[in-house]
Amino acid sequence: MKNKQTDLLQGTLDLLVLKTLQSGPTHGWDIAQRIEQVSRGILSVGQGSLYPALHRLEAQGWIAAEWGASDNNRRAKFYKLTAAGRKQLAAETETWERFTGAVKLILKTT
Amino acid sequence: MLNRLKLRLRALFHKTEMEQELDEELRFHLEKEIEQNLARGMNPEEARSAALRSFGGMERVKEASRDVRGVRLVEELWQDLRYGGRMLLKHKGFTLVAVLSLALGIGANTALFSVCNAVLFKPLPYAEPDRIVVLSERMSDGKLSEVAPANFVDWRNVSRSFSGMAAVRASSFASSFILGGQSEASRLVGGDVSSSFFSALGVRFMLGRNFLPDEDLPGHDRVAILSYAAWSERFGADRDIVSKTITLNDKAYTVVGVLPADFQFGTTAADFEARSQADIWVPLALDPQKLQRGAHMLHVIARLKPGVKLAQAQAELDVMAANLAQQYPENNKDRGIAAVPLTDQVTGSVRVALETLLGAVGLLLLIACANVANLLLSRAAARQKEMAVRIALGASRGRLAQQLLTESLFLAGLGGIAGFVLALAAIAALTPQLPADLSRAAGIAVDLRMLIFTAVISLVTGILFGLGPLFATWRENAGESLKQNNRSATGIQTPLRSGLAVAQIAIAIILLIGAGLMVKSFWALMHVAPGFRSENILTARLSLPRSRYPDNRRIAALEREVLESLRGRPGVQSAGFATYVPLSGSDNDWSFLIEGRPPLPVGTFNVAKYRPVSAGYFETIGIPLLRGRSFTSADTAEAPWVVVINDSMAREYWPSENPIGRRLQIPGWPAWRSVIGVVGDVLHEGPDSAAKAEMYLPVEQALMNIESNPTIVVRAEIAPGAAAGELRGAVSAIDPAIAVDRIETMQQLLSGSVAQPRFRTMILVAFSLLALVMASIGIYGVMNYLVIQRTREFGIRLSLGATPTDVLRLVLGRAAVLIGAGTLFGLLGSVLLVRLITKLLFGTAPLDPLTFAAAPVLLAAVALAASYIPARRATKVDPMIVLRSE
Repeated sequence: MKNKQTDLLQGTLDLLVLKTLQSGPTHGWDIAQRIEQVSRGILSVGQGSLYPALHRLEAQGWIAAEWGASDNNRRAKFYKLTAAGRKQLAAETETWERFTGAVKLILKTT
Repeated sequence: MLNRLKLRLRALFHKTEMEQELDEELRFHLEKEIEQNLARGMNPEEARSAALRSFGGMERVKEASRDVRGVRLVEELWQDLRYGGRMLLKHKGFTLVAVLSLALGIGANTALFSVCNAVLFKPLPYAEPDRIVVLSERMSDGKLSEVAPANFVDWRNVSRSFSGMAAVRASSFASSFILGGQSEASRLVGGDVSSSFFSALGVRFMLGRNFLPDEDLPGHDRVAILSYAAWSERFGADRDIVSKTITLNDKAYTVVGVLPADFQFGTTAADFEARSQADIWVPLALDPQKLQRGAHMLHVIARLKPGVKLAQAQAELDVMAANLAQQYPENNKDRGIAAVPLTDQVTGSVRVALETLLGAVGLLLLIACANVANLLLSRAAARQKEMAVRIALGASRGRLAQQLLTESLFLAGLGGIAGFVLALAAIAALTPQLPADLSRAAGIAVDLRMLIFTAVISLVTGILFGLGPLFATWRENAGESLKQNNRSATGIQTPLRSGLAVAQIAIAIILLIGAGLMVKSFWALMHVAPGFRSENILTARLSLPRSRYPDNRRIAALEREVLESLRGRPGVQSAGFATYVPLSGSDNDWSFLIEGRPPLPVGTFNVAKYRPVSAGYFETIGIPLLRGRSFTSADTAEAPWVVVINDSMAREYWPSENPIGRRLQIPGWPAWRSVIGVVGDVLHEGPDSAAKAEMYLPVEQALMNIESNPTIVVRAEIAPGAAAGELRGAVSAIDPAIAVDRIETMQQLLSGSVAQPRFRTMILVAFSLLALVMASIGIYGVMNYLVIQRTREFGIRLSLGATPTDVLRLVLGRAAVLIGAGTLFGLLGSVLLVRLITKLLFGTAPLDPLTFAAAPVLLAAVALAASYIPARRATKVDPMIVLRSE
C-alpha cells in the first residue's frame, strides 16, 4: 500500500462514488479500485465506509442496484447512476468546485 | 421517490433476503481482495488474513449498511411488540383483567356509538337532508301545531326562501286502504302527500315517477306510489308495475312509481316508525275551492333554497305569519310559523336520552382506563429494575418511553378488538329491545365510522392509561432504583394510584346516582295507574271496506253483530269497540260549545279528545263510571244524542256543578248532546302523559265517516293467541272482506309505551354496575399494593405488639379515606350533572335524597369489601419471615 494516503473529507465519498459510476455500472470492489487508481493511490476507500455509502445512495435513489455477472461469471451487485443521481452529481460537483476554489483563494492570499 | 419506497418496503418485509444479499456482496468484495493479494504474490493464507484485516470487521460494515435502510424505527417497534406480547403472555392474570376492563369499556362505547350513529348522526336518506325543515304553526303559548290547508297553500304561494314546499296529512294512519283484487282482503297503510312531497325531499324513484301537479287535484288523484316493501311483498316485485291498475277501497288507482328501499319519512322519531311502515302514498288532492283554515291537519316540509340560511327563512315566515294574522284574524290571530330542521325534529325526543347514555359510557371508559393504568403502575413497580438496567446499559429515555407506549397501545389494541366483538354481541342482543322511537337504529350496521370510532377510542385509551406508568418511569433515577430493593415505595406511584382510585370511586358514584334516579323514575312510571285494565285485554284493528260500510249506521250495525257473535264464544268475557284506543298512538280532538255559556273570544276554543265507542267498551277495558250511566245499545242515531265525559273534562268545564244533564254541541253537528255520564281519566298517550279532557260518544251518533277502522277490545280469560283466533273466526264468519290486523294485548301496548325509559334505565343500570365492579377492582388494586409495600412495617408493628385488628383498622382506615374522598367528589359531580337529565326523570326529584344516600352506601360497602381482602392479608404477616427476607 502507498504511504501517503489521505483520509476522505466528510461527504466527499458520495461525490467520488457518483463520479465513478458516471462512466458506467460497476460493483463495489471495482468502485474502490478505480477511486484508488484514478487518484494515483492518494485516496483509498475502506470497505467500512464504501458499502454503507452505497446503500445510503441507493436509499436516496441516486443509484440503483442490480445483480449481474462479473468476470469469471461470478454473481456481483452492480450499481448504476439514476437520473436523480446524475442531477445530484452535477450539483455536488459544482458545490465541490466552489468550495475548493474558495479554499484555494484563501490559501493563496495568506 | 417510488424507488425509495420500494426499497424500504423490501427492507421491512424481505429482511432475510436483503441480509443474504448484503452477505453475498461483501463476500464478493472479500474474494476479489484475496485474488488481488494472491496476484501480488502472497500465499493463500496471508492473502486471506490481509483481506480480512483491511475489511475492518465484517459485522461493523454490515450494521452500518443496515442502518441506512431507514427502517430502524419500524424494526424497533416490531421488537417492542414481540417483547410486549411475550410479557402479556407471561402475566396472564394481568393481561386478562386489563383486556377485559378495556373490552368492556370500549365495547360499551362502540355499541352505544353505533346506536347513536344510526339514530343521531346518520343523515336522513334524502339529498342534502340538512336543508329540509318542518314548518308548523306556533300557537300563542309557544306550542307547535299542525298546519291548516289554506295556510299551507298561502305559505307555498308567498314564500321565496324555499325551493320546494309540500304537505303530508298529519294523522299517519288516517289513510288506509283495503287492497282488493287479491285472494284475501289486506290492508295497506298509506300517506296523503302533496305532489311536490317526494321532489322536495329529493327522493330518486326506483321505478316510475313522482306525482304530477295535475294529479294533486280532486278528480285526478287516482294514482299511487308504492313503498319498496309493499311492491316486493304485495305485488311480487313486479318490475312492470308502473301504469298498472290496482284496486284500493274498491276504486281503481294507477301505480305511477315505486320508492327506493331506503326511503323513510317522519316528522318525529315516533312518527318515523309509523311512517316507515307506509305501504302506499296517494295525492293529498286538496280542493282549491274549499280550503279550510280552522282544521289543522297537515305536516309541512320545505327545502331551503341554496344559499338561504334558516334564520333568513324564519324572518320571511314571521312576516308572512303577521300578514296572515291580519288577513284572517278569526283563525290566525297570534299564530306564528316555526321552521325546525327535520333532523332536529326526528332526533329531538331521543337525543337527551342518548346523549346521557353516551356521557355515562364515556365515564365508564374513564374508569376502565384508570383501572388499567393502575394495573400498569403495579407492573411498572415490578419492572423498575428492568428499566433501570436498560437505562444503565444506555437506553435513552425516549427509547424506553417508546417501548412503554408500544406496550400500552398493544394492550389497548387487544382491548379494542375484544371490545369490538363484545359490541357486536351487545348490538345483536340489544336490537330487539330497542324502543320504537329509536327505530332508525334498525339501521345499525358495522360501518366504517364504527370501525374508525373503535380504533380511535382504543388509541386514545392506550395513550391515556399509558401516560401513568410513563411518568412514573420518567421520574425514576436509574442509579437509585438499582440500589433499592424493589419493594420500596416510589415517589410518584402512591399519590398517583390513590388519585386514580378516588377518581374511579367518584365516577362510579355519579353513574350509580344517575342509574338510581332512572330506576326510581321507571318504578314510578310503572306504578302510574293508567286508568284502564291491562290484564287479559286483547286489541285488534278491523278494516272495513268503505263501499260496504259507507256510514256509521252500517258500521255500528256490524259492530253490534261482531260483539253479539263474540259474546257466545268460550273464554270471552266482554268486548267493545273504540276508534281511538289508549296507547295505540292514534288520537283526535274536536272543539265544542257549551249550552248557555257566553261565546268564546275569537281564536279560542273548548277542546276535548274525541272518542266514538260502542256499548260495552268502558266495562271491557275497565274505565270506571263515576257518575250517571254509560252507553247502551239503545243509544242509536234516532235516540236522543248523548255524550259521556271524563273526570278531567268535568272538572275543567263544570268545576262547581254537576255536568250530568248539561248539553254541548260539536260544531258541524247541529244536535245538542246531553252529558249522561262521567268516567275516569285515561292516560291515552302512556303512563308519562297527562290526563286530558275526553268526550265519548256512541258510534252511531258520530256522523263523520272516520270510523271505518275501529279497534275492538276483547276481555278474555284465555291465552291471547286463542282469543285472537276466536276474534278472527267471529269476524270472518260475518264478513270475510274485513281485514283484522294489529292484534296486540294491552300489556304489549303498555310495555311498548315505556320502552324508551326501560331501555335507558336498563343500559344505565348495566353501566353503573360495571362501574361499581371496576371501581372496586381499582380500590382493591391500590390497597393490595399498599399492603405489599408496607408488609415490613406491618410485620414490625405486629412483632411490637399490635393486634391483627389494629393492622386491619390501619389498612381499612386508609381505604375509607380514599372511598370517602371519592364519594365526596362523586356527590359534588352528581349535583352538578343531574340537572342535565332532569328531562328524563319522572316523579323523581333530581336531588332525590334516597338515591343520593343509597348510592354512596352501596359503593362504600362493595369497596370496603374489596379492600378487606388485602387488609386481612396484612394481618397474617409473619414478622419473622419479613425481617429475615431483608
